[in-house]
Amino acid sequence: MPPKKKTPAADPVASQEEDVSMAEAPPEEPTEDVIGDDANPAILGVDEQPIRVLAGSSEKAASYEFAKEDHTLGNALRYIIMKNPDVEFCGYSIPHPSEAVMNVRIQTYEGLALDALEKGLTDLMDLCDVIAEKFVAAREDYTSEMQS
Amino acid sequence: MDYDPMVMDTEASGPTVKITEAGANHVDFELQNVDLAFANSLRRVVLAEIPTMAIDLVQVEENTSVLADEFLSHRLGLIPLNSKNIDDVVYTRDCDCEDYCELCSVTLSLHAKCTSDDIMKVYARDLVVDAQRANQYVGNPVITDPEGLGTVICKLRKGQELRMRCIAKKGIAKEHAKWAPTSAVGFEYDPHNKLRHTELWFEQDPVKEWPMSKYAEWEEPPQEGEPFDFDAVPERFYFEVESAGNLEPDAIIQQGIKVLQQKLAAVIRDLTDGEGETNGINGGGYDAPRSPDLNMNGQWQDAGYTTPYGNGGQANTWSNAGAATPYGATPYGQNGANGW
Ligand SMILES: [Zn+2]
Repeated sequence: MPPKKKTPAADPVASQEEDVSMAEAPPEEPTEDVIGDDANPAILGVDEQPIRVLAGSSEKAASYEFAKEDHTLGNALRYIIMKNPDVEFCGYSIPHPSEAVMNVRIQTYEGLALDALEKGLTDLMDLCDVIAEKFVAAREDYTSEMQS
Repeated sequence: MDYDPMVMDTEASGPTVKITEAGANHVDFELQNVDLAFANSLRRVVLAEIPTMAIDLVQVEENTSVLADEFLSHRLGLIPLNSKNIDDVVYTRDCDCEDYCELCSVTLSLHAKCTSDDIMKVYARDLVVDAQRANQYVGNPVITDPEGLGTVICKLRKGQELRMRCIAKKGIAKEHAKWAPTSAVGFEYDPHNKLRHTELWFEQDPVKEWPMSKYAEWEEPPQEGEPFDFDAVPERFYFEVESAGNLEPDAIIQQGIKVLQQKLAAVIRDLTDGEGETNGINGGGYDAPRSPDLNMNGQWQDAGYTTPYGNGGQANTWSNAGAATPYGATPYGQNGANGW
């Protein structure tokens, strides 16, 4: 249990002072840290990128890897992409339950798989807009109905 | 294959929402003409991904009660805190501060000492909310009982004392259930089990042993000897959302949809940012996950877009005379820019 201490972070002015004191620290230490970060693949772009195209993909048939996504996005996206008539196949999977990764496979008759993915995302966005709108309207209807 | 595209396309009429019941802490509604996948996404997002406030750090200065520090900390974490307009609060991980600050947290202090011979109860109302916070709502303990006490935190005997500083932070239920906005989300479809998505366990007769859902009378019961409809899909979803008190039930649904859209927006942003640098296509000298159907020589065994019906591309079994798509002239129905 941490003992009670005055936290400089709670005060923006105090935290600035802390920053200054950090700069006074020996310069080697932070430099070493930066080198360490560069060598660490987890901090490089590839792993930061939440979406990755899996090896072996072509223009019309591609697999995308979504980091930190699950059935919430996967299934709804799969469904909406499948509704696109240019799409021959769309499926999603979660390769391993203890890895926060979701894969989507798209194969198209016509056009790029990437376009189908983008269209799926915007279509799902539109659907969300409609549902939100309809919910608010239904809620207002219900309230006025109850009052009368 | 002959079919009426409008019958297959359940979204031809567009999704509808009907409120069946609503109160101060619950809302029941029916969502119609959306896919099971989408309805389930909404359920999942409401259950686990709506941000709320909950006590996350506890600094124990004095605890002479019979309960251990961590036991009390756990209880404090589970107290529902008002999370209205939580968008004003940032996640600590996105905040510029080092530990926590008034932009990303709310401080509640608790000081109670029993001085009488009677057992004293410490309630959620005894938490004193610090004025330094993002807005006037966030962090207030939810108190709904007529006496205005809130949940019991612990009981003290004469001479026992509690003095703690609690730091409430923004979070989601995926990380810890204390951040859940709902105590329950009822989700139901197909009350007569016509689709056979579930199998009812029974001793003698499932009809007698399983009570009917209250939504059963809203839908046509199956006829005697009715053949199974292989084309049927669930279309009507009955939601029952019960708030834990930290957010209004309407706000929960609206926030849920918003969270889903934020997810989508993040993916779209990422996709447009990373356009062209299709990382991974050429890389992968290591044993990385890869797309199916690539043989040892790196050649496609199958182009991926041919169908088992022999004719790849446009000339497939689905394209009927003239119409470009199985769904009629426009891909997504006929009304407006987006066919919803
Ligand atoms: Zn902060």
